[in-house]
Amino acid sequence: MTTRLILEICNIRHVYATGSAGLAGCSLNIRQGSRNALLGANGSGKTTLLQQLNGLLRPTSGVILIDGAPLDYSRNGLAALRRRVGLVFQNPDRQLFSASVFEDVSFGPLNLGLDEAEVRERVAQSLAAVGMTALAEQPVHYLSFGQKKRVCIAGVLAMQPEVLLLDEPMAGLDGAAQTELLAVLDELSSRGITIVLSTHDVDFAYRWADDIHVLAAGRCIASFDAGRLPEQEVALKAAGQTLPAVVELCRALVAQGMLPTTAAPRSLGQLAANLADMPSRHFVETLPLGATPSHAWRDARRGRTRRH
Amino acid sequence: MLIEQSAYANRWRAVSPAAKGSFALGGLLAAFVANTPAAAAGIALVMVATTLLGARVSPWLYLRVAVPATAFLAVSSLSLMFSINLDASGGGPQWQFAPDAVSRIATVASRSLASLAALLFLVLTTPLRDLIALLRQLRVPEVILDLMVLCYRMLFVLSEAMHDMLTAQAARLGHASARRSLHSLGLLAANLMVQVWQRAQALATAALARNGCGSLRFLSPAFAHARRDTLIAAVASLALIALAGSLDR
Repeated sequence: MTTRLILEICNIRHVYATGSAGLAGCSLNIRQGSRNALLGANGSGKTTLLQQLNGLLRPTSGVILIDGAPLDYSRNGLAALRRRVGLVFQNPDRQLFSASVFEDVSFGPLNLGLDEAEVRERVAQSLAAVGMTALAEQPVHYLSFGQKKRVCIAGVLAMQPEVLLLDEPMAGLDGAAQTELLAVLDELSSRGITIVLSTHDVDFAYRWADDIHVLAAGRCIASFDAGRLPEQEVALKAAGQTLPAVVELCRALVAQGMLPTTAAPRSLGQLAANLADMPSRHFVETLPLGATPSHAWRDARRGRTRRH
Repeated sequence: MLIEQSAYANRWRAVSPAAKGSFALGGLLAAFVANTPAAAAGIALVMVATTLLGARVSPWLYLRVAVPATAFLAVSSLSLMFSINLDASGGGPQWQFAPDAVSRIATVASRSLASLAALLFLVLTTPLRDLIALLRQLRVPEVILDLMVLCYRMLFVLSEAMHDMLTAQAARLGHASARRSLHSLGLLAANLMVQVWQRAQALATAALARNGCGSLRFLSPAFAHARRDTLIAAVASLALIALAGSLDR
């Protein structure tokens, strides 16, 4: 990941035809190749911002730069922008309009004017990237919600974008589907694709993102490296968010002396691993007087058996 | 849904739609060529046998799909057996049995049956997306194809939306009485209208996001041995037409 900025959003406002303000002076930067989470409550302007970045909406005022140049809203300019910046919508049923997986994925690359052989190649690659090759011939209405989401991503990937925008990608997915989707996003990120997704799940944002942008009332009230999130309690509170559970738990464990102050796990899994790596003497020393130390849970994690 | 189910599950699912279309067209032409009820019935039999034995469509499913159309044909044939005699001596017009029409009706009915069997062969073995791809190859105007694509997709999206709304209404006693049902149905229709409009807008936006501007262009699926299968189907069609001609004599 570089520090080069691929997208710069400079003080944009967006007022809908109904008079409601979607964005009210929003500014933030997206680094090339980074994983970004737009964190905010419902109505904070996340979807409006994503649609601005794909050129579906045009700011009422302010400017968006891509590679340092303002977005070109001419017909050709928008076509070029949408090739580079792809958007996956929240509800797959509102994005998929062909009943065939294969056909729907081919829609974007065909609109780029590519020849048939190239489109076939891209469709196959995109379906493979999201793990949907086996279901390419299935009608869309026979797919699960999670599978439809992956088809939506494939439809955008087939246009080979540099930036992938995802509107609430985890919404409506069960745990297994979320894990599958995360694996897809990790794979895309490792290929150097810049990912910007909107979410209201602070735990997920902290676990996954490189950069977090906190949105509230149409403005970006804080933009920071995800590792610095524990210091952003005020901004999170202003956006109606709380600290991630792992931060709260980590603080409590540090206060008890059970974890060093340098520990900064980003997920509960990492926290458990940190605890498992602590020397057992440490726990005995820090336990309250009269308590019986038990390392059975830690031993179980390491595959040992104990006899009492 | 039965047709959809069969179209995706039959043995000839992966056969080129051009081949299946050619054979169905052959069946329709043979039904047209067949001049006697026996010849037309023979063609119908061949088409049914091809669908059931060749494509392995379930006979039970076939029967369920064919019964409504066949019943409609039977009612139509029955009504053709009677005519109104305006010059009856009794004064007003009278119904009269037309015995001389029986052979004519038998020919029409058997030809219709053969045509029905030919069309059922096509739709029960070919998913609509393949048929649309075939129509695209045949240079059918794009606006018609776009409508077909969207209608087909929306059929499932909106039926799901309607099902959800019906369930939500039933959960709040929306269908507790005939009067409530009527009221709920009105609400459902109104809500569905709004949903259709919103979804249409959302789809237009989604198409724009992928550089769509105007007609919906898709890649047609590729079929292995398409040329060979179409040739076989064309030969079979010619044989069917020849059979219809020979059964006449």
